[in-house]
Amino acid sequence: MNLLPSLRPILDELTQRFGAQIEHAHAPQPNELYLHAKLELAGALCSTLYRKHQGRLAGVFAEDARAGQNVFFVYYLLALDAAHGFVLVRVPIPADQPELNSVTNAIPAANWQEREIQDLFGIRLVGHPNPRRCALHDDWPEVYPLRKDFDLHSQLPPFMGERHKFREVEGEGVFQVPVGPVHAGIIEPGHFLFSVAGEPVLYLQLRMFYVHKGIEKLFESLPIPHCVRLAESISGDSSVAHATAFCHAVERAAGVEPPPRARALRTICLELERLYNHIADIGAICTDVAFVTAHMHAMRLKERILRVNEELTGNRLLRGMACPGGVRFDFDAGQLRALAQLVDELERQFNDLSELTRGNSGLRDRLETTGVLTPKVARDLGVVGIAGRASGFDHDLRRDVPHDFYDQVQFTVPVLTGGDVQCRFDVRRDEVVQSFAILRQVMAKLPAGPIAVPLGEVPADRVALGYVEGWRGEIFHWIHTAPGNRLARCKVKDPSLQNWPALSEAILGNIIPDFPVVNKSFNLSYSGTDR
Amino acid sequence: MKLDLPAIVAQTALLLLLSPLLSGLIKNWKAKLQNRRGARVWQPYFDLAKFLRKDMVVSEHASWIFNFTPYVLLLTALTAGLMVPMVTAQAPLGLFGGVLALVGMLALGRFFMALAGLDPATTFGGMGSSREMTIAAIAEPAMMMAIFTVAITAGSTNLGQIVLASQRPGWEFFDPAHALAFAAMFIVLLAETGRIPVDNPATHLELTMIHEAMLLEYSGRYLAFMEWGAAIKQLVLMALLANLFFPLGLAADATPAALGLGLLWFAGKLLALAAAVVLVEFTNAKLRLFRVPDLLSAAFILATLALVSTFLFR
Repeated sequence: MNLLPSLRPILDELTQRFGAQIEHAHAPQPNELYLHAKLELAGALCSTLYRKHQGRLAGVFAEDARAGQNVFFVYYLLALDAAHGFVLVRVPIPADQPELNSVTNAIPAANWQEREIQDLFGIRLVGHPNPRRCALHDDWPEVYPLRKDFDLHSQLPPFMGERHKFREVEGEGVFQVPVGPVHAGIIEPGHFLFSVAGEPVLYLQLRMFYVHKGIEKLFESLPIPHCVRLAESISGDSSVAHATAFCHAVERAAGVEPPPRARALRTICLELERLYNHIADIGAICTDVAFVTAHMHAMRLKERILRVNEELTGNRLLRGMACPGGVRFDFDAGQLRALAQLVDELERQFNDLSELTRGNSGLRDRLETTGVLTPKVARDLGVVGIAGRASGFDHDLRRDVPHDFYDQVQFTVPVLTGGDVQCRFDVRRDEVVQSFAILRQVMAKLPAGPIAVPLGEVPADRVALGYVEGWRGEIFHWIHTAPGNRLARCKVKDPSLQNWPALSEAILGNIIPDFPVVNKSFNLSYSGTDR
Repeated sequence: MKLDLPAIVAQTALLLLLSPLLSGLIKNWKAKLQNRRGARVWQPYFDLAKFLRKDMVVSEHASWIFNFTPYVLLLTALTAGLMVPMVTAQAPLGLFGGVLALVGMLALGRFFMALAGLDPATTFGGMGSSREMTIAAIAEPAMMMAIFTVAITAGSTNLGQIVLASQRPGWEFFDPAHALAFAAMFIVLLAETGRIPVDNPATHLELTMIHEAMLLEYSGRYLAFMEWGAAIKQLVLMALLANLFFPLGLAADATPAALGLGLLWFAGKLLALAAAVVLVEFTNAKLRLFRVPDLLSAAFILATLALVSTFLFR
C-alpha cells in the first residue's frame, strides 16, 4: 500500500487497537486512506481520530450500494491536517434495517450532515440529539431522493405534510422575530427566527435548504465531462474552487496528473477568485455598519478584478476554465502582463483601502467584540475556512495538503484567535496580501508546456477525493465512478454547510441590529448548502 | 390674532417645494464623495410623483391609525415649518405657542408614526417604533434645552421674537453658550433626520433600521406623504439651526428685493448645513444601537452646559 509516511503510524495504531474489526484498509492515493470497518466501530474510530489524532470531521455522507452488496455505505471523512492526509472510514448499513448510530453527541460537527443522510437516504438516526428534518423540509412526502430506486424525473405528489414547528423561547418580554426566507437584498432564501428580549438575541434558529436542487443526484445522470459545468454552478462565488475540486477527484480516480502549467494556471484562477470575494466581503462588512465609503472603493477594486478575469478566461467569474486533466485555455504573454499589472495596481489601492478601514475608530468599534465565535465552539462545530481561522482553528488545505501549485510557492496562513467580526475581517485582509504574493510567485515560476493531458474514459468502480481550499474554506468532491464514464455517486461538501450552525452561536448575546454584519462576516452560501 | 395669509401660503409652498431638493442634494453629494455618479438632485421629485400615482397595498390587519398617520405626519411637519422664520424674520405662524408648539408638533408626528409602525403588527415596524421612541426620549429634551439657550438670551420662546431680537444691535453670534447649543442641535438634527451615525437612510437591512423600519409597510400615496413629511421635517430642523444660530440676511420687509436676498441667504445657509451633514455621513460608520443614547446624551449635556453658561456669562 502506497501510503504517506505520516499516515502510517496512525494506521498501525488503529489496526493494533481495533484489530480485525477493521476489515480492510487501502489507499488509492498516498494521502487518502480508506478503512472499511464494521458498523459498530464507526463511533469509536471517529472519536479516536477526532480526539487523539486531532482529526477534523470534514464530511459524513452515504452511498446506496444495495444493488451489488445489499447495503448502504456511510463514509466519515476525517482530515488529519498535521499528518497531511485524509482518512475515510466506511461502514456498511444493512438495506433491510437502515439505522445508523449518530456520532453528533461526540462530534457536534456531524449534526446537519447526518440529518441530511437521514432525509436523502432514509437511514434512520439513532441517538441523534435533534433528528428532525433538515435537507428536505417537513412537508415533503416520504421519499428518499438519493436512493438509486428514486428516479431523477419522478413527479412528487403535492406536499401535504406538517409545516415545520419552530422552537420558541418563552418568557416575559420575549418576542419572536422571523426574517426571511425572502430577503430585501438580492440574496438567496434562508429563514432566520430570532428569539429576542428587547434587542439582545436569546436564540437564533436557522432554516436552510429552501432551494434544494438535487445536484448530487444530477451528477449521477451525466457523463463525467459534463459534470464539470455542473460543479461550476454549485455556488456561483466559488465556481473555480468547486470545478477544480471536482477535476481533482476525476484525475485522482483516473490516475492522471495534470501538467505543471495547468496546475499553475488553476492556482492563478483560485487566487483571483479568493481576491475578488475577499475584497467584496471587506466592502460589504463596511456597508453593513453604514461605512459606505469603504464599500464603494472595494466595489471598484472588485470590478477591476472581474474585468481582468474576463480578459483572461472570457468570463467574469472565471467559468469555463476548468476541465479534467488540466485547464481549457492558456494565458498568453499579453494576458499575463495584464495580470501582473492588476496585481501591482491592486496592491497599492488595497493598501489605501486597508488604511481607510484601519483608521476609522467608529468602524472598529462596530466590528470588535461583535459576533464572537470562541475557539472551543469553532473546533466543536468543525468550522472551516476563514471563519475557523479567525477563531484560532489553524488549518488550510493549501498549506497542509497542498494541491495544484501551492507546494511551489511560499505563503503564510493568517490565524487569529479573537473570533469576532474584526478578526474575520482581518483574516480576509491578510489573505488578500498573501494572495498578491502567491500570484507573483506563480507568474515568476510559470512552467511552460501543455495545459492539459487527455483523459480517456475513467475506469469504473474507483473512489477518489478531490479537495480545494476555496476562498470561503475547504471544498470536497468525493466520487465513486461507474461504467461508461459516469458517476455512481458524487458527494459535494461546501464549507457553508459546516459553518451555518456557527452563526447561531456567534450571534448569542449580540443585539439584533448587529446581526447583518455578523452574518456578512461569515458570508455563507445558501446554494452551496442546499445543493 | 391676525393671520398673514400670503405669508402662510408662500412658506407652505416653500416647504413643499424645497424639501425634496434638499434631500436630493444630500444624496447626490454623498454619492459624489463616494466616487459614484449618484442620482440627479431632482430624483426625489420624480419619486414623489411616482408614489402619488401608484396604487397602495394596505395590510388587512391595519387599523385607522395606519391610514391616518401619513396625513398627520405631513400636516404636523408643515405646521412646525410655518412656525420657523425662513426667508423673513417673522414666521407666518409666529403668534402662537413658540418653540414648545414646534417641538410638540414634531412629537405628535413621531407619536403617530411609532403607532403606525406597530399597527400592522409586522416584524420590523415595531422594532423601528421602539428604537425611534428610545432615541426621541433623549433627543427631544436636548433640542428643547438648546433652543431655550437662545430663547433666554432673546427673552422670548417665540421663534419669531428670538430672530427679531437677534437683529437688534448688541447680539453676539459667537457667544460660547450659542456655540454649545449649536453643537447639541446639530447632533439632534442627525438623529431626527435618521442620518449616519444614528440611522442609515440608504440601507436595505431591515434589522438595522430605525426610521425606515416604520415606513416599510407603506406604499403609493401614503408613502409619498411619509417621505415628503420626513423631508419637510429635515428642512424645518435645518432652517431652525440656520436662522436661530446664524440670523443673517433675513428679510425685514416683504419687498421683492429683500425677499430675493433673504432667499439667497437662506439657500446658502442650507447648503452649508447640508454639506456638514454629508461630511459626517461620509466619514462615519453607524454607531452600535446601544451607543446612540451616549451620543444623544452628549448632545443633552452640551445643551445643558449651554443653558447654564447663559447665566454664568451674562
